[in-house]
Amino acid sequence: MIDLRIRTTQALTALAMAAIGVVPGCSLTRAGSSGVVTVEVAVFEGGYGIEWHKSVARRYEADHPGVRINLWGDPRVDEKIRPRILRRNPPDLASANLPVWKLIVAGKLYPLDEALDSPAYGQTDRTWRETMIPGTLGDFRYDGRTYAAPTALGAWVCWYDKRQFRRYGWEPPRTWGEFTRLCEQMTARGIAPLAFQGKYPGYAWATLLSLYQRLVPFERWYAMQDLQPGAFVDPDFVRAASLMQQMAVRYFQPGAMAMTHTESQMEWVNGRAAMVFCGLWLKNEMKSAIPAGFEMACFPVPMVEGGKGDPNALYGGGAENFCVFADAKHPREAADFLKYLLSIESARSYTIELDTLSPVAGSTEGIPISKELQSVVAVLDQSTRVFQDRISNLYLEFGATVLQQAQADLLSNRITPGEFARRLEAGAEATRRNPDIYKPRPMGVPEIR
Amino acid sequence: MRRATRKPGGDRDRNQALFVVSFLGPPVALYATFVLWPALNAFRYSLYRWDGLSEPAWVGLGNFRAIVATGSEFLPAIRNNLFLTFVPGALTLSLALFFAYTVHQRIPGARLFRIAFFFPNVISSVAVALLWILIYSTTDVGLLNGLLRLLGRTEPIAFTESGNLLWAIVPMSVWSATGFFMVLFLAAMENIPETYYEAARLDGASSAAQFRHITLPLMWDVLTTGVVFLIVGGLKFFDAIFVMENGRPSKTTHTLATLLYSKVFQEYNIGYGTAISVMLFLLVLAATLVSLRLMRRERLEY
Amino acid sequence: MTASALRWVGPAVRYACLIAYLVAVLFPVCWVFYTSAKSTQQIYRNPFGLPPAITAPGRQSLQPLVENYTKAWVGSRFSRYFINSVIVVSTSLVSILMLGSMAAYVLARFHFRGRTFVHMLFICGLLIPVQLVLIPLFFQFSDMGDWLTRILGAPVRALGIGDLTVSLHDSHIGLILIYVAFSLPFTVFTLTAFFRTLPGELREAALIDGAGEYRTFFSVMMPLGRPGIVTIAIFNFLGLWNEYLFGLVFLNDDRLKTLPLGLASISMQAQYKSDFGLLFAALVIAMVPTIAVYMVLQEKLTRGITLGALKG
Repeated sequence: MIDLRIRTTQALTALAMAAIGVVPGCSLTRAGSSGVVTVEVAVFEGGYGIEWHKSVARRYEADHPGVRINLWGDPRVDEKIRPRILRRNPPDLASANLPVWKLIVAGKLYPLDEALDSPAYGQTDRTWRETMIPGTLGDFRYDGRTYAAPTALGAWVCWYDKRQFRRYGWEPPRTWGEFTRLCEQMTARGIAPLAFQGKYPGYAWATLLSLYQRLVPFERWYAMQDLQPGAFVDPDFVRAASLMQQMAVRYFQPGAMAMTHTESQMEWVNGRAAMVFCGLWLKNEMKSAIPAGFEMACFPVPMVEGGKGDPNALYGGGAENFCVFADAKHPREAADFLKYLLSIESARSYTIELDTLSPVAGSTEGIPISKELQSVVAVLDQSTRVFQDRISNLYLEFGATVLQQAQADLLSNRITPGEFARRLEAGAEATRRNPDIYKPRPMGVPEIR
Repeated sequence: MRRATRKPGGDRDRNQALFVVSFLGPPVALYATFVLWPALNAFRYSLYRWDGLSEPAWVGLGNFRAIVATGSEFLPAIRNNLFLTFVPGALTLSLALFFAYTVHQRIPGARLFRIAFFFPNVISSVAVALLWILIYSTTDVGLLNGLLRLLGRTEPIAFTESGNLLWAIVPMSVWSATGFFMVLFLAAMENIPETYYEAARLDGASSAAQFRHITLPLMWDVLTTGVVFLIVGGLKFFDAIFVMENGRPSKTTHTLATLLYSKVFQEYNIGYGTAISVMLFLLVLAATLVSLRLMRRERLEY
Repeated sequence: MTASALRWVGPAVRYACLIAYLVAVLFPVCWVFYTSAKSTQQIYRNPFGLPPAITAPGRQSLQPLVENYTKAWVGSRFSRYFINSVIVVSTSLVSILMLGSMAAYVLARFHFRGRTFVHMLFICGLLIPVQLVLIPLFFQFSDMGDWLTRILGAPVRALGIGDLTVSLHDSHIGLILIYVAFSLPFTVFTLTAFFRTLPGELREAALIDGAGEYRTFFSVMMPLGRPGIVTIAIFNFLGLWNEYLFGLVFLNDDRLKTLPLGLASISMQAQYKSDFGLLFAALVIAMVPTIAVYMVLQEKLTRGITLGALKG
């Protein structure tokens, strides 16, 4: 009898599964099926790819038999996730270009503090929070809680090919004057000085902010970050914009404004443009195209003569931020996997495999690092402090509408630097007046590290 | 053996009513649930401020006021829509008329021209956009810049840079749409009785005069239909901009449709985005009604 | 110059224009076709030249062609996108034609209260742009999914089978429902006009023979309506096969994407890898089905436009 009943149930189950299986859009999790938890992780598949994330996921699964990590990546991951957040069906963990602050303020992100204050993987004497380089967790704090953690340490630098520089006897410039003279020499050789990712004019923002930092003390730089009235029409900001415009008009490769990031970086790799401003992901993004003998190296944004800013500060900080969603099915497990992604062991493999830097303290110690990375580490070692924009994260409308357009117009020489500054100030004013947009308390100049 | 049995009238009526309901019910239900109901809901949505995450807040016409306020992105977007309607539209219509008229003269190869000219119309808009991205590319792959290089130009032209993109879309639109309108106009021309032309020729009318006084007036209806198609298509323009701008159009390239997509699905401004879609609907409605009005007034019977 | 020579100038110029436009229409597509047989390096080195597969046919020179298409079809899941498109479009098409001709037949041939109202309702649909419906429908789908999960989930759980979640988002069924509902106005509008032109006597005869309304429709009226239905089918096929916006919003899962969506995401991939050979091959695969359908059915298609044009 019992046997029969079990068989009937099995048959019914099989039948129902079959029926539901042919109807896409239905999902059936079998009751009591071994209790395995599946954590969905969506990763922006950009310059760093997703191979490293996958290998960490496999290690995590081996260490945690009760958890499966379903990890996927896409260059346009945000296009897929944003609608799913509105459907209240987000993945558990994601790194994507999202309206993070809107989500934080609406309570749609899961605070990481519980995980941050638990012992770190691999260094159980310390909490996860204590293993991170100070300051890297500060970008997404709200109401005393932390809502995102970076997996990369970013820096904005100018890349060149050492071999090409040696061949023509060029030197990495330290000042703006040296930089423009170098560009003139390159032009004379028939080589475009700078490749530029013009299809995404936002690539100019970090360079522009670095130039502005070179001109003014940090009090004024952060006043702009705090959206103080008049910050964008500051004559020094206009000057930074005009330096940027001169650079674009005189030294960008012809046609650059229509090139995507990979197209323009290909031009640089192929030696038709000598330098390119980019983040640390450049090497990994272009690794299949880089020819043998190419010697990638970098220098920081040059100091501007007569500027009052710190010549050794470096644009950078936490990057590739991950967040856990409050509507996720398994937020705790997702936060734990994120902690694992940032264990000292994972951070070391990150540094080695992707030739870049991790925000986990001490992750470069005692491991062999490549020449390219050494050149980055040299720049970092000389830097007094890092600084990083948060306006474009906080004020999406400002970033998407005002900033993007104004930069495209500035770089294509359609508007004057003064007009550029006025447009940004008007956009900032609209942001200040809009009660719907969350604005954090002014932060002033943060403590050094 | 079966025989037609005469049933009482009431029974037959009931059967027929059952038949009507069973045939009309499913399509009407589907249409009402997935088209009419959401369409009505759009008007409701447009009166709220809502980010899709927290509770909606009633703002009345606030979204519409924000749409027409200075500095809003709506006005540049609608300007782009008008550009994309009228510039390629005028070219498309004139080319299509010219080709239809020429092909109508029973020239050799008429069939080939008709088949070949129509064919870009069947390619998906995404494929068309990608094809033209490759044609315009500033890298060595680009067809057009390659031709310019052969002609001795050293610097490539950044056709798809956001400031030039709308102009770059003009040839693309013309390329993909002209064939459709040519076939449409050709059909209308073939429907005009030959006797009209014979009479005109006897009166000594030139072929230009024949075109102006016979062909054009008698195909007025079809011409107006074509204009309605173009205007509605121009107002709904989405695919090519979205693909060519990699999903992130800027203020100089946004159309109403890409703007409302990014307002809703990228910035979570759902009420505002829906208000744009309501405006889009009103514009489509107005354009159609005005054109139909014009058509009725100028209609010529033959 | 004589008068007769002058008379030839106009037509000659016009003919030259036609030829020029013919080249402009066909060349870009030919370029895509033959470039898809070149490797990325070959494309970079010589963007316009014919591929080695044509200039020097041989095993070696076919290599890039095979490689590009394998990468597109297998490596980039193009086969998956293709099958998805076939599933979604064929199911939608059959449903549209079925439901559309049912409604159109009743509206054209029966007299009942509310007929004009229903007909007007469908005509209104011709004026509703996709974008108006898109946003509310997005949230409606979430609500309907929750609702279905509640209703169907309870008995499934009671039977001890498992937890059932139903979602109309990220499902082919959801997209098919939208496609069918959205194609109905145009289909019903056109087919109603068409069914009105069919002779009524045949229906009367069939009914008198005792066929019943259902049999009459399926075995007499549907076959009679075939020319109209075929035309509508072609229009709907082209529209749905190429549809992008609904798919973009309602399908987020890569495995479910249709061809236009897949093509857009492959172009992104190809850009990241600077793999132009892949991109050209993907374009060809995406274009071939519609071009094939057009080649076979172009007479019917243009006749359909003609009919539509004359009805206004």
